[in-house]
Amino acid sequence: MRHYFRELSVAAVLLVLLAALAIFAPAFYQPQPLLSLATREAPTLIVACGMALVIIARQIDISVGSQFSVCSVSAALLAAMHWPLALVLPASVAIGAVLGAINGALIAGLGLPSIVVTLATMVTLRQGLNMLRQGEWVSLPDNVQWFGLSQTVGQWLLVAAALALLVALGLAMRHLAGGRFVYAVGSDAEAARLAGIRPRLGTFFIFVFMGALTGLAAMMNIIQSPQVQPLSGVGLELKVIAAVVVGGVAISGGRGNLWGAFAGLLLLACIAPALTHLRIEAYWEKAIQGAIILLAVVADGLRSRKGDA
Amino acid sequence: MAATEQARRPAWKTLLFSYEALLLLVLVAEWLFFYFAGTTMNRRGVVVGFGTLDRQFDILRHSCEIGLLAVALTPVIITGGIDLSVGSLLGLCAILFGKFWHDGGLTIPTAIALTLVIGAAAGGLNAALITALRLPPLIVTLGTYSLFRGLAEAITHGAITYTNFPSAFLFLGQERWLGLPAQAWVSLPIGVAIWMLVHRMTFGRSFRAIGFSPDGARYAGLPVNRRLALVYVIAGVVSAVAAIIYTARLGQAKADAGTGYELFAITAVVLGGTSIFGGTGTVHGTMIGVAAIAVLKNGLACLPVVMRMNAAEEMSGLLTGALLLVALTAGVLPKIISELRARFHLGAKT
Amino acid sequence: MKSFLPRVSALLVLFLASLVAAGAADSKLVLAMLPKAKGNAYFLSVKGGADKAARELGVQLLFDGPTDTDAAKQNEIVENWITLGVDVIAVAAENKEGLSTALRKAQKQGIKVISYDADVMPDARSFFVNQATPQGIGFALMDEAARLCNEEGEFAIITASLTAANQQEWEKNIRKRLATKYPKMKLVAVRPSDDIKDKAQSEATALLSANPNLKLLMAISSPGVPGAAEAVKQAGKVGQVKVIGLGLPNENKRYVHEGVTDSVILWNTDHLGYLTVYAGVALAKGELKKGDKEIKAGSLGTFEIIEDNILLGKPFIFNKSNIDQFDF
Repeated sequence: MRHYFRELSVAAVLLVLLAALAIFAPAFYQPQPLLSLATREAPTLIVACGMALVIIARQIDISVGSQFSVCSVSAALLAAMHWPLALVLPASVAIGAVLGAINGALIAGLGLPSIVVTLATMVTLRQGLNMLRQGEWVSLPDNVQWFGLSQTVGQWLLVAAALALLVALGLAMRHLAGGRFVYAVGSDAEAARLAGIRPRLGTFFIFVFMGALTGLAAMMNIIQSPQVQPLSGVGLELKVIAAVVVGGVAISGGRGNLWGAFAGLLLLACIAPALTHLRIEAYWEKAIQGAIILLAVVADGLRSRKGDA
Repeated sequence: MAATEQARRPAWKTLLFSYEALLLLVLVAEWLFFYFAGTTMNRRGVVVGFGTLDRQFDILRHSCEIGLLAVALTPVIITGGIDLSVGSLLGLCAILFGKFWHDGGLTIPTAIALTLVIGAAAGGLNAALITALRLPPLIVTLGTYSLFRGLAEAITHGAITYTNFPSAFLFLGQERWLGLPAQAWVSLPIGVAIWMLVHRMTFGRSFRAIGFSPDGARYAGLPVNRRLALVYVIAGVVSAVAAIIYTARLGQAKADAGTGYELFAITAVVLGGTSIFGGTGTVHGTMIGVAAIAVLKNGLACLPVVMRMNAAEEMSGLLTGALLLVALTAGVLPKIISELRARFHLGAKT
Repeated sequence: MKSFLPRVSALLVLFLASLVAAGAADSKLVLAMLPKAKGNAYFLSVKGGADKAARELGVQLLFDGPTDTDAAKQNEIVENWITLGVDVIAVAAENKEGLSTALRKAQKQGIKVISYDADVMPDARSFFVNQATPQGIGFALMDEAARLCNEEGEFAIITASLTAANQQEWEKNIRKRLATKYPKMKLVAVRPSDDIKDKAQSEATALLSANPNLKLLMAISSPGVPGAAEAVKQAGKVGQVKVIGLGLPNENKRYVHEGVTDSVILWNTDHLGYLTVYAGVALAKGELKKGDKEIKAGSLGTFEIIEDNILLGKPFIFNKSNIDQFDF
């Protein structure tokens, strides 16, 4: 129980928010809008899972938003050329993986700092996309939305897929060698190397995986509506990093888990709709978001200080 | 080994082969290229484009705010920290300055003084969370990044724009004084002061020590917390100065001022050769970095080819990203070559 | 050094100028056009019209702007154009007062300035190509909303960002019309979408569930309209909640035909770009002067001028019956 203190405290804050909504705005709890909210956040959850892995491995990736846009537009263009979705999906994942591999090669191969490398790729990908596409939207054929299924089925499918991935990854991180490997690289790369694993190769594949997940998320996003806007994905990096950190994944690596990241994402994802339901003016949103992030890290800091003493 | 080798070299040689000198060379080459390729004569027979004096002054004016932020971020990054909140703080300070003057009825100098105090307080908040609670700077300032911008929006409801500042104040952002744009007279001394702090005082040595190993610095008896607090408070105050210059240049203060500036500033610092892990870096490197990006941005907009493509904005972003990657790679290239050579020799022997 | 650089540069400039002159690009009049932001469909369509006019008139068109709305960057780009010595600058201002500072400087240097889409201060430009006043837009939106709701019930607005100046102007006029003419209607919320369709959809979803009596969603940023429509469709409230907004026909055709979106209001953005270039060039050649009553713009015929406003015409209401006739 003590082990999961941080995750539980985020869950507690989330429960307080949900309870406040239950009392003051019971309208929040309607099945269809909740399902819509969950569907909209499903791709974000996928990216957040990847980000949690990256941060546990003591790296960071701020290019995910731009990767997401590039994957969305490329997948949409392929779909608009009437490629079957069964091919577009792997293509999107593959494009993401290639973009991730570029980051990975620069970071793991050349030993460059991830925050700067991904800052550079973020700008480069975003502006490259702007230059090639001039912000033009892509219109998709009719059968793309919800994979051609009915809306309810499509929505449940996306939410279930995202949750299944979360559970699989969460369990893998705890019980599989690959998962422990990520922790090992993040807590002490040198020790990991001496223990006979190859941290640089591992780091490379973590970024490839991050990119692939982003490609998957982009695909899960474009099938939700009939048009794709190149701007989708702007600001995604900050959202997922905030969610992961609020969820107790330590930026110094090696500590935290996906359940915490999940709780953090739920908390941040609920703020905007909660404000609408509680009839709080929109201009408070960013300040409240910042305050929640600070509160979460301050709580963490206070607790670890107590631990020191 | 590299260190002893460097020590044996004469000083001028070290200077000549330093990263900053290389970057300066790139800057000069870049400038000359644009000077010759981006200067043309228009229909009326007037020389226009990159080569004009007006353009050089514009480059200086446009890079003052980001330059200030970048210079103030340099000591922060040298200590191994980071401050993502400077752009948001610029926005918050800009609207508070407007509010003090417009709604509070204060005189411009009083409003400026109060804004600087706010900047210091905001930097102090970052510092307190980072030092007292030993929280990672990235996370603390990610929180204040949202918080400061959020407060700016909440105070103005996003909508209020403060304008109609007296022309004596606008002079600071728009006119020239003694031959230079007025804001340069404010920014350059601040740059020099921070340079002195980092390179000519014991403070600078302690920043590097902290960045190299915070625990080591602590055991060596350095007041680590006070030194760290200092760099974040400086970043806060300088953001407030940048906010005032920004307001004077545009003649307006609004909650979206300075959005995204933190990324430009960090890019310039890193391009200038400061290691994001802390421990090494120079303020003059940062200044050259700021200049390299500003010249690139401005120069591209003058190239006939780019003008015909209507893609100056996108291309400058693209090339800044590429330049950053090239600079980073160049920085580690010697190490990698020696690594490869070692491996090759080993391979040859066995 | 001082005397050396200019001499060398003068030689080189002459050399380069002769190179460029061979391409004959230099003899063309240069018109620089500043959008609020590059890379959105609205200004892409404006550029389409502007390109056509520039080809017809044989002028060189520079089209550059911030990649996302940024008042400071707009100033920098205009100041760059001043030292580039362009002949005409046409601007759509993100922020009136801020941009006017730079434009006055341009005028002092003999550059002609006109504004389009979103005006600057009157003393900072010669003419404004007026596609519709904020009042015209705000009132038209509110009237259309009232008509669809039979003048009673709750509605909500989705804007671009809280800080966008034009959105604020429109919102102000919508509120003004609401207060004076439709006492039985109620504006329950204004939410920002950052010009991102996905975010508009999320905001609309929350608005729908938080306000069960909502009768209409009004999106006043163009990516917001399809976003709101998709939300209404997914919530299964088609018909029950109506969607209107400011947007481009192409982005909304699908939803209009499905009956999700009732009407989209906009002027002809392609014509706006075309007219702006014609007006700018006429101004530079001295064919357009203060006090003129009309201007001729190529294949589009003549447009009326009232004082210093060149009128593009009334905003257009696109709905099921006419939307297929437009392609922009």
